[in-house]
Amino acid sequence: MIAVRAAGLGQRFGSHPALAPVDLELAVGERLAVLGDNGAGKTTLLRLLATVARPASGRLELFGLDALTRRAQVRARLGYLGHQAGHYAQLTALENLEFFATLQGRGRVEAREALAGVGLEAAAGRRAAELSRGMQQRLALARAVLHRPELLVLDEPDTSLDGPGRALLGRLLGERTAVIATHDRALARGLCSRALLLRAGRAEGDPWQLRVVEA
Amino acid sequence: MAVTWAVARKDLRAEWRGREMLPALAQFVVLALVIANFAFDVDLTSGPRLGPGILWLVLVFAGLVAFGRAFAPEREQGSLEAMLLTPAGPAAIFAGKALAAALLLMAVEAVLLPGMAVFLGAPIGLQVVLAVLVATVGMAGLGCLFSALAAQTRARDLLLPVLALPLWIPFVVVGGRTVQAAMGGALVPGQPLVVLAALDILFVIVAALAARVVLDE
Amino acid sequence: MSRLHVLAAAAVLAVLGAAGMIFLYAPEDALQGPVQRIFYVHVSSAIAAYLCFALVVAGSATYLWRGSLRADRLARAATYTGLAFTTNTLVMGIIWAKPIWNWDPSRTWDARFTATVVLWMVYAGYLLVRRFAAPGRTAMRLAAVVGIVGFVDVPVVHFSVQWWRTLHPGPVLDARGGPALPPEMLLTFAVTMAAILFLAGVLIAIRYRVELVQEQRAELAPATLELATR
Repeated sequence: MIAVRAAGLGQRFGSHPALAPVDLELAVGERLAVLGDNGAGKTTLLRLLATVARPASGRLELFGLDALTRRAQVRARLGYLGHQAGHYAQLTALENLEFFATLQGRGRVEAREALAGVGLEAAAGRRAAELSRGMQQRLALARAVLHRPELLVLDEPDTSLDGPGRALLGRLLGERTAVIATHDRALARGLCSRALLLRAGRAEGDPWQLRVVEA
Repeated sequence: MAVTWAVARKDLRAEWRGREMLPALAQFVVLALVIANFAFDVDLTSGPRLGPGILWLVLVFAGLVAFGRAFAPEREQGSLEAMLLTPAGPAAIFAGKALAAALLLMAVEAVLLPGMAVFLGAPIGLQVVLAVLVATVGMAGLGCLFSALAAQTRARDLLLPVLALPLWIPFVVVGGRTVQAAMGGALVPGQPLVVLAALDILFVIVAALAARVVLDE
Repeated sequence: MSRLHVLAAAAVLAVLGAAGMIFLYAPEDALQGPVQRIFYVHVSSAIAAYLCFALVVAGSATYLWRGSLRADRLARAATYTGLAFTTNTLVMGIIWAKPIWNWDPSRTWDARFTATVVLWMVYAGYLLVRRFAAPGRTAMRLAAVVGIVGFVDVPVVHFSVQWWRTLHPGPVLDARGGPALPPEMLLTFAVTMAAILFLAGVLIAIRYRVELVQEQRAELAPATLELATR
């Protein structure tokens, strides 16, 4: 079964082409690393795949559903971790998760579970503003998996994570399909079976012959 | 409904913990009244006459500040994106934000109205309080709509007043008239409040419909 | 000469013809004197402005419904034209009001004037949103919301001011100075109205073309740059 199918998916900001059309197919359970220098279009591609941004061209299907017309169903099945943590500084770690659990139609139990899943039980009562960068990143990860999505779209999830944090990343991914943007090639090799290299907004072949992705 | 309430509660709780907006706005309101007192050289006879105008001017500018902060931080810290990615509808999220902002402005009014009586000697009766509270609902709907819209542009502080002020004119006109009549001692029956309530219903519906488009990035 | 050139020339001739009728054919108003001749252009500009903004609403709604780029371009073109006619209406109204009402704010700020000023501000805001939003779909979507919501507000402003002024002591002058017009005046008005509406249509068409050319140039710019660096 196909989890992600993108055809000619491209983005432009005004007259600036940010991402040349990309074709991509990802089976359920497959994990794709998106590599590339700063400004190569990694975040642009991930935002399109996570339905956060609308593409300027092309089509995107997630789990066989059109991502533009069936947004609500598609979004319920994916978890996204962006560049910004997106926490409310004045709320505690647990309150942040409980709030998003309510929006997801879930309850306190799931919020607590997600918090435990990233090893933050001890910090449950601390305000998000008082958490360290790495802990904030863990909290953001907890929010991304709160509703048990089948597909994870993670933009540089290793940012400010310590060693145990990176190990945790692998546990969180579990059997899920995932698209992960990172600069850490070792991490990409460890977590992913395929890779996509972006260079100046264009998709190129794989650098270490995992499996070349047609671009 | 659960979503609306959760969003509003989250905002109010954060404001309660941080105490950022309310003290600043209360201070702004008191300062504005003091300046108005000197600028218009208010005495006992002119107080009730100038009162309505000063009341609405201060309220409108306090509203611009309160609503302007409703969406900008959410967008900057990325939490707006996170909320919109959940199955909760944009209209429900918007309603929660607007509800919290309206309640915040009402808390400011709790400073403004007694302040009017103290600094300007304006008589504040039930009619005045009701007119201000009813108008706040519709103003919050429109104000938050344009706050959400302006937050997506490069010049949000500039755009919010330009967009919101023309659309608030009906509230200022009708509300101003109501307060004027009440302060002048003339008894205005329920009608102006009904007109204000009708404006509320119209603009809350318009804002809720438009919010879906504005928030749907 | 392109079709737009021909249309533009025709519009200029039509407006000149209307001007001839206003100054040479129409009789002078018994009460107001020559100032009353402003009426023809003032009222027809106002109607043209309202029609332009109705077109903005239609274009914006179509854009939001279908994502049609043409509808958005039409809304943009109609905004510029509508703003020009609104400005014209306001300036003419002020010139007219000066000798007749001696600029009495309580009468000049009547419902119609206030609603027209609000209309002007709303669509000036519409253009500002376009300027400050990220170009492309974001700007189109946000501007469409302003275009529609702002238009809803105008009758409400009109209504609320009217409601307010009826409670206010003092008469409100009817801007037309009596409902029954002599036939010569009526004919002059009809001709002016037709000329102004034609002019508005031509202006929208020209602006539409300008917007189209600007879009194409913006699209081409990076491509030509790429070619040049190769």
